[in-house]
Amino acid sequence: MKRNPALLAALALSAAALATPAAAQTTLNVVTAGDQNMVDYVKDFLAPRFEKTNPKATVKAVGTGPGDAGSQKIAEKLQAQKGNAAWDVDVAVIHQKMAGDLVREGLLAPYVKDVATGKLVTSESSKNALGTNVAGYVIPMFQSQTAIAWNPGLVKAPPKDYNELAAWAKANPRKFGYNGIKGGMSGVAFVVGWVYANTPDSERLMKGPYDASTKAKWDGALGKLKEFNRNVVITPGNAGTLDMLNRGEISMGPVWVDMFYTWMADGKLPPTMRLQLIGPGMPGQPMYYVIPAKAANMAAAKKFVEMATSPDVQAEGIVKKFNWYPGIDAQHVKAKLDDKTWNKLFVDVTPKDLAAKGKVFPIKPYFDDILESYERKVLN
Amino acid sequence: MQDRGRLGIALVAPALAAVLVLFVYPLGYSLATAFEAKGGGFTFGNFVKAFEFYSVDIGFTLVIIGLSTLLIALAAIAIGGYLVLGENPRAVALLRWLYRWPLFIPFVVAAQCMRSFLAKNGLMNNSFVALGILEIDQTTGFLDWRGIVITFVWKQTPFVALLVAGAMAALDRSTIEAARNLGAARLRVLVEILVPQVKPTLVVGLILSFVTMMSVLSVPLMISGESPTMMTVDMAFRINNYGDYGTANALGFISYLLTAGCAWVYLRRQVRQS
Repeated sequence: MKRNPALLAALALSAAALATPAAAQTTLNVVTAGDQNMVDYVKDFLAPRFEKTNPKATVKAVGTGPGDAGSQKIAEKLQAQKGNAAWDVDVAVIHQKMAGDLVREGLLAPYVKDVATGKLVTSESSKNALGTNVAGYVIPMFQSQTAIAWNPGLVKAPPKDYNELAAWAKANPRKFGYNGIKGGMSGVAFVVGWVYANTPDSERLMKGPYDASTKAKWDGALGKLKEFNRNVVITPGNAGTLDMLNRGEISMGPVWVDMFYTWMADGKLPPTMRLQLIGPGMPGQPMYYVIPAKAANMAAAKKFVEMATSPDVQAEGIVKKFNWYPGIDAQHVKAKLDDKTWNKLFVDVTPKDLAAKGKVFPIKPYFDDILESYERKVLN
Repeated sequence: MQDRGRLGIALVAPALAAVLVLFVYPLGYSLATAFEAKGGGFTFGNFVKAFEFYSVDIGFTLVIIGLSTLLIALAAIAIGGYLVLGENPRAVALLRWLYRWPLFIPFVVAAQCMRSFLAKNGLMNNSFVALGILEIDQTTGFLDWRGIVITFVWKQTPFVALLVAGAMAALDRSTIEAARNLGAARLRVLVEILVPQVKPTLVVGLILSFVTMMSVLSVPLMISGESPTMMTVDMAFRINNYGDYGTANALGFISYLLTAGCAWVYLRRQVRQS
């Protein structure tokens, strides 16, 4: 919320830049939700590359703030301009939750068929955003994934699935830690995975259709989770789990894979730590490149996304620099990377694991039901 | 005369407008939304939900902050008392210099420091182990309700101590000296002579601390992920995860009521004093 004035100023500036008749120079406005590192990625990594091959274009990177709130601001911006002939957002980077709404409201251009890299994406998340069909409108910028981090110094063999993990936690009280549901998304992802693992119809939770009576069937799963919680440590936040792993206070806990590798690269986690994506699966989420339906510089926007989703850029920027999983299919990116980099990202969680056990978050109404049922049955 | 009246209104207007726009309006707005159903219309549903989900947290909040307030009172009296009654000038000077530091540290920074200080293998326990006071397997982490209390007490004690020490220093020293001459120990002087005389100041300081602690989100969020948790965490959770301002505002309303009780005591005391 605090970023609002800055954002408005930035948008006003970019609008002013658009209005100036700067000869044949095009200003491409790339608006991105997410943390500062997303803006830096566009500004410092993508923009110079794009401007080199398109000397007549200047890229302006604008950030709208972290979390779903950032995507919400982009949506509001587009809704406000709905009546205008041309909109001043050329490329946007948004969270999965917002993509469905924007497609339904007709605010996005079905651009994927027009860019060469569109053919390199076949993942489920490129077609389905928490229950809405978004095929043709989005290309994932990256995929982030949760997994269980474990300390080989304290754990001999990591559990392979949620049942084994529950048994392990019982045998090793207070050696597993996660951050509940009120302290960040890695804990939420762990709980969602638990519900997927312990309820009969997880496919329905991911794909719908929604039925308000489904949650009545979760009592058993949540009762088990309450029991499980007695033997684990509840950590303060996503970073709290990583901190406790680093200090050896817990031996295992759910983390975001990209955060895990970034912390390791910064020396905040021992390099011996490992990851395990446990079955039947844990959720992850992509961020999407989208182009608004009436983007002022449609042609340049398509070129920009094409470059940003090319195997070279995905390898160098997304995988190597930021430790994210590629947005386009992994096999196209592997060829561009040296083994060391590739191994770092995929040695513990293989592309095969990702395909089989990388789940999506549930559709919105089930998502809310899971969190509220957790509050009701596990916390109370 | 009328001109002076107008001038007075003109002078007070900016301040009054600021209070109305920045305080009274948002307060009224959030109170009103606490009673508003999702589609509009009057409801008690938000309160039903708040109590159904968070009654334990409301109680927990009161216990945590009540306990913290009590500990702050004891620590502030001890500090103020030593500053007035201490006989070692160096120790008094050192204490006077040290005790105010946490005043200048924001809650979020205090929480961040405590988070690594109080952890099971954090700085505090590691120091104990290095000094040979504890074995490594005897240590426990304090990142739960105890961590919240420790952080609150650490952060708020200087504020109350500042007020109390000032009030104690302003007392007529002859009462203290008379008691000492008659053979009263320092502790007895503190409890029977000093504290009763500074009680109004002490209570005001504690009430202001209580109200401040009621509003802190960063400390419970960063120190403890455990449940039950404090009401501020629940409010943030309702908004961030469900976009549910109704229940969040109902919780806010409840915390207004709790602090209003304190404010009433404060105002009554102010009125009596003036």
